[in-house]
Amino acid sequence: MIKIQKEDFNSEEEINKIKILYPNLGAITSFTGYVRNKNNNKKVESIHLEVYEAMAYKQFEKIINKANLKWDLIDCLIIHRYGKLNVNSKIVLVSCFSEHRKDSFESCNFIMDYLKKDAPFWKNEFYNKKNKWLANSN
Amino acid sequence: MKIKYFAWIKEITNNEAEEINSEKINNLYQLKAFIIKKYPDLKKHFDKEVLRFAVNHEYIIENINLDANDEIAIFPPVSGG
Repeated sequence: MIKIQKEDFNSEEEINKIKILYPNLGAITSFTGYVRNKNNNKKVESIHLEVYEAMAYKQFEKIINKANLKWDLIDCLIIHRYGKLNVNSKIVLVSCFSEHRKDSFESCNFIMDYLKKDAPFWKNEFYNKKNKWLANSN
Repeated sequence: MKIKYFAWIKEITNNEAEEINSEKINNLYQLKAFIIKKYPDLKKHFDKEVLRFAVNHEYIIENINLDANDEIAIFPPVSGG
């Protein structure tokens, strides 16, 4: 399941919606990314995340398909927010569902690595009176 | 064809999206040349090869032929997650 949205979400509820569908499920690995209050020694007040939504859906589908070829997965969940996000807000949730832990651990890491490198989102970080567009370094 | 600009690129173009249709633009290289001519401030970024291109939501590195119905996006390195 892929969701790209402005609104905040309840991670546990979102994960449970998928979990109850699969009695064979034995492992869930989740990563949540948050807005930090400091970056590059600057005090961050908020970020504005821009997205190329149609491309993001397509690219997320592709990476989930790739993960499914490499690992034995039951399901995957990606929720990525956009718009204005304050410090401590959730930015992204990636959850991978499998029978065994190795598949969920490794695929979650794989999807996050891809997401940082290729998912078409851009952070505009806001400080006191200034702002700066960021680029991921890894 | 529809051209979309993202992040700080659109601050240079002062435009999020535009239609560019010219008989002289048949491939991505020709489109890049057209855009540099229209927005000279983008040239240094094109030259540094920091910008990324997508055609119909897929990353494109090599030159490809373009069609009038294509959607081409030009954007800087991503920073999601």
